Amino acid sequence: MNESELAAPLQRPGDALLSGYGDGVRGFDEMFGADGQPRAHWGSLLDELGRHSAGELAQLWTTADRLVRENGTTYNVYDETGDSARPWRMDPIPFLIAPDEWRALEAGLIQRARLLNAIVDDVYGHQHLLHSGALPASLIFGNDNFLRPVHGISPPKGVHLHILAFDLARGADDRWWVMSDRTQAPSGAGYALENRIVLSRTLPDIFRKSRAHRLASFFQAMSDGLLSLTGRDDPLAVLLTPGPRNETYFEHAYLARYLGFPLIEGADLTVRDNRVYLKTLDGLKQVDLILRRVDGDYCDPLELRNESLLGVAGLVEAIRAGNVVVANGLGSGVVESDALMAFYPKLCRELLGEDLQIPSIATWWCGQPAERDYVIENLDNLTIRPAFARTTIVNSHAGAVMPGELNAKAKAQLTERLQLAGHAYFGQEMASFSTTPSWHEGALAPRPMALRMFVCFDGTGYRVMPGGLTRATDDADIGAIRLGQGQTSKDVWALSDRPVSEFSRLAAADQPIRLRRSGSNLASRVADNLFWLGRYAERAESSIRLLRAMIMRLSGEAGAGDDPQTLARLALALVELGHLPESAGRLAEAGELQSLERELALLLSDPEGPNGLLALLADLDRIASIVRERLSADSWRILNNLRERALQEGAVIRLDMDDAAAVLNAMLADLSAFSGMQKENMTRGLGWHVMDAGRRTERAAHITTLMRELVTDGDPVADGRLDLLLELGDSSMTYRTRYISSPRLAPVIDLLLTDDTNPRAVAFQAQQLAAHVRALPRATNAATLPREEFLIESLTSRLRLADVQALADAKDDDGVRVELAAFLDKTDAQIAEFSDAFARKYFSHVLPTRSAYAGTGGP
Amino acid sequence: MIYDVSHRTTFAYTADVDISQHLLHLEPRASRTQIVQRHGLTVDPAPTRSKDGVDYFGNRTTYLTVEQPHDRLTILSQSRVELDDHAAMPDPEATAPWEELATIAEARGELDAQQYMFESPFTGSRTAFDYARPSFPPGRPVLAGAIDLMNRIFAEFKYEGGVTDIYTPVDQVMEERRGVCQDFAHLQIACLRALMLPARYVSGYLMTHPPPGKEKLVGSDASHAWLSVWTAGHGWVDLDPTNDMLPSDEHITVAWGRDYGDVSPIAGMVLGGGMQEVDVAVDVRAQEDRPAD
Repeated sequence: MNESELAAPLQRPGDALLSGYGDGVRGFDEMFGADGQPRAHWGSLLDELGRHSAGELAQLWTTADRLVRENGTTYNVYDETGDSARPWRMDPIPFLIAPDEWRALEAGLIQRARLLNAIVDDVYGHQHLLHSGALPASLIFGNDNFLRPVHGISPPKGVHLHILAFDLARGADDRWWVMSDRTQAPSGAGYALENRIVLSRTLPDIFRKSRAHRLASFFQAMSDGLLSLTGRDDPLAVLLTPGPRNETYFEHAYLARYLGFPLIEGADLTVRDNRVYLKTLDGLKQVDLILRRVDGDYCDPLELRNESLLGVAGLVEAIRAGNVVVANGLGSGVVESDALMAFYPKLCRELLGEDLQIPSIATWWCGQPAERDYVIENLDNLTIRPAFARTTIVNSHAGAVMPGELNAKAKAQLTERLQLAGHAYFGQEMASFSTTPSWHEGALAPRPMALRMFVCFDGTGYRVMPGGLTRATDDADIGAIRLGQGQTSKDVWALSDRPVSEFSRLAAADQPIRLRRSGSNLASRVADNLFWLGRYAERAESSIRLLRAMIMRLSGEAGAGDDPQTLARLALALVELGHLPESAGRLAEAGELQSLERELALLLSDPEGPNGLLALLADLDRIASIVRERLSADSWRILNNLRERALQEGAVIRLDMDDAAAVLNAMLADLSAFSGMQKENMTRGLGWHVMDAGRRTERAAHITTLMRELVTDGDPVADGRLDLLLELGDSSMTYRTRYISSPRLAPVIDLLLTDDTNPRAVAFQAQQLAAHVRALPRATNAATLPREEFLIESLTSRLRLADVQALADAKDDDGVRVELAAFLDKTDAQIAEFSDAFARKYFSHVLPTRSAYAGTGGP
Repeated sequence: MIYDVSHRTTFAYTADVDISQHLLHLEPRASRTQIVQRHGLTVDPAPTRSKDGVDYFGNRTTYLTVEQPHDRLTILSQSRVELDDHAAMPDPEATAPWEELATIAEARGELDAQQYMFESPFTGSRTAFDYARPSFPPGRPVLAGAIDLMNRIFAEFKYEGGVTDIYTPVDQVMEERRGVCQDFAHLQIACLRALMLPARYVSGYLMTHPPPGKEKLVGSDASHAWLSVWTAGHGWVDLDPTNDMLPSDEHITVAWGRDYGDVSPIAGMVLGGGMQEVDVAVDVRAQEDRPAD
């Protein structure tokens, strides 16, 4: 028995975790009461945590980190060097809300949601508030989130705000204050869900015993509420995202999957006959509900921001006609301006006949003379914020300034701005924040926190998510959180005083709430990208094969001197495929190997070269990231490896050709792994068919080109070109097993062109393409074959009927195999024609939309 | 004075347009000084949908779509408008001091004036305030200041077509000191709003006169743009900085809004279409000019 065990009976199990905690507490602490004892609602969690040793806990937190990483939870950060995805950070200690406090917050936030919706309804309707002056007109008219074309539209059930988020902080007086209201397209609910899933998997027993309200019913209510507004039996709902570069794209993809809504971009939609349609592989599907993450003013380039590429032209008119519901309503960002908070107590009494239950942080809008003067007089004690700034999830107070920290000159400039354009600014009291326990170096430590809570419309009224997202800082400094930032997040447990239902949908969190007909809503744009992903992956593979062959012949045992003819042909093939400049072909023919080697090294390692290997891999990477949510985590990881390998080892390649071959071999292995994942792990939905069609098309075209370059003249057997063709076609082994002799022309042509049992042969690709075409949606009652099917069938039969021996034998006087060349040219043309027809059939909706102003410009 | 206006816009595309959507601000707006006797719209090919409406600013609009492939689209707008050329012009020196305008608008709950006090997408500027200041010494009546500002813009900026387009920022026009009518309108609006004065953009037509002794050419007119400033007691007063004049009986008003973006004669989105060529022909005839039938 050691000392600590002897002492144990006198202590509560969690005490070791708490050592030194009280020393760090300055103001109100969420866990420690004024008496220095943990508050009652924290007791059970502390007891449970206390049953684990510090080592065990550290182990658990590693698990949590791994789960966050594996789920690929990220948010994108923009800075001057471009954007980058940062991993999401979660502190493993949840923030707890006591049952009675939760009920008060719930009631208060429902009231606030009703209030904000009523204000939006007035602003976009009769504008009584503006006429009476209850709400200063400047705060609306000066706000670029006030979207005039939307004025006069009344949405179903009068709901403009379907999802809201509120940032709260607890002041020194123990009360919760609202710091900001998010109504445009609030983010964070998906991250809250993700935190919950990770934490409930990390601490399954503790969570089960915790009496924390479950989150699933909130999302179910959100989905039901939204769908109920469409008035349709089987509505099609989509989640509209600005795209993968958006800050919270992870969450868009996550929520889309969870809610069972296709994740789409503006280009996937089209408006016809005043209805919104999703362009799918299966044709146009009418969209009934758009849950948007695109800011309102970017949603319709015809009536709103003309330069926007993120929305769909005609959307406003479709909404006006009542043919689609958009959530949140366009223009709902108008009440996101925190300057409005100064007027809420009055507006709440006027609009709802109630007193505002949860106060807002003290706010003085500088559009009023008295308030502006107050702000200028008390500059040093306030935060000054732009009234109409756009906000982000990690920074809800964009553009905030603390005059107390400015020098005299900057302060004078600020004062001048306030006097000239006061309506664009407001002053806010410096908020105080409570602290809550966070995990810090093996124990709990008090950290400043702010709380984001979510409200949704559930079909009849508003409902609060019984949980949320806590932002906390890494250290005890409150500066960052005051500016609306925070480095880590926490799960929020709203506690019930009764046992909560053990039933939780979260066990099946990766499963959508709604089961949908598999994949029939595959957007044409996504399909287009999958097709090209298939093509690029294949292209990378065949290009690397070519480069490897060249390197082996330049430096390896094959010895360049042995077959300069082959080397020259190889160089010409690379020229033909656009990888090498034409000068390289001449270098090869002239036998200038040193110079050729330099060209090749450049091709392999130059990050700037437009036709180099790195550029090709960058293309692959770019297109993969567009369809990332369709790729498994493993596929994604393989592509990441590949890219990193190329970047890191480029220098090696430049130095040494032997090492270069090894690097290329490793890359080929990565690409094989990627295609293996595609083959073994992708369900045979439309996406798979389209992606594989891309791969097959590319491979057929590539083999045809190689044959055209390598075997249509001279004696390819004698100078080793036939061996090379087999190597590049990855069919050397097959040939050897089958013929047990050195290569001869006719059998090689058969193997690579017409043999539909060889997965590398053109005939095999054609057969697969025909199968894909039959699997994709098409009109079944047409009297004639669709064009793309006709083309691929005729290619298949041409290959089947080809007389290979005759093609191999027929030469003209110059020794050129004219018939073979003509056959290959025709094949190449048919493949290209097929690819075009395929794209026209399935991706043709993906046309660029652009604006046309017929301008003035007169006298 | 009665005018007949014909405004024909032809879009020609090098490839078929699958679908096009247009929002038109082509119907002249009735006002205190303008009666619209008739207006008609002819669209070829025939639109799939066509719907008339009224926008937030009270302008009449037409929303139309052509949802079958087309490589050409012609929109012809014909109007007959009567202008009241006896409207009294307020005495500029008798208008309210410029500093008081924002307060008056707020105190009276003049939403229609407050509406136009703030920066809008086409009128953002960092230089407008400094440029505007000399025209507005303390206490100067607002219209006197606005006219002085207009005089200065006319004197200091050069009219030059083809050097700007509708997306040219005010600050660039300010720096290069040249542009066309909508540039000058946006510029003066930006200046006035920098001082929290309500100013709105007006889109319309201007009756032009051929050089002495020459026949007026058909289609030689163009759509035009100017602005209006709110003067409290005397309401909105039009100013044309391109021609350094207060419009009276030769400016035909079509629509007004915060800037060009709100009232562009034809805003459109097309799907497909390749390259686009636009041809605009405007013809303004006073009725007495009309040859006898």
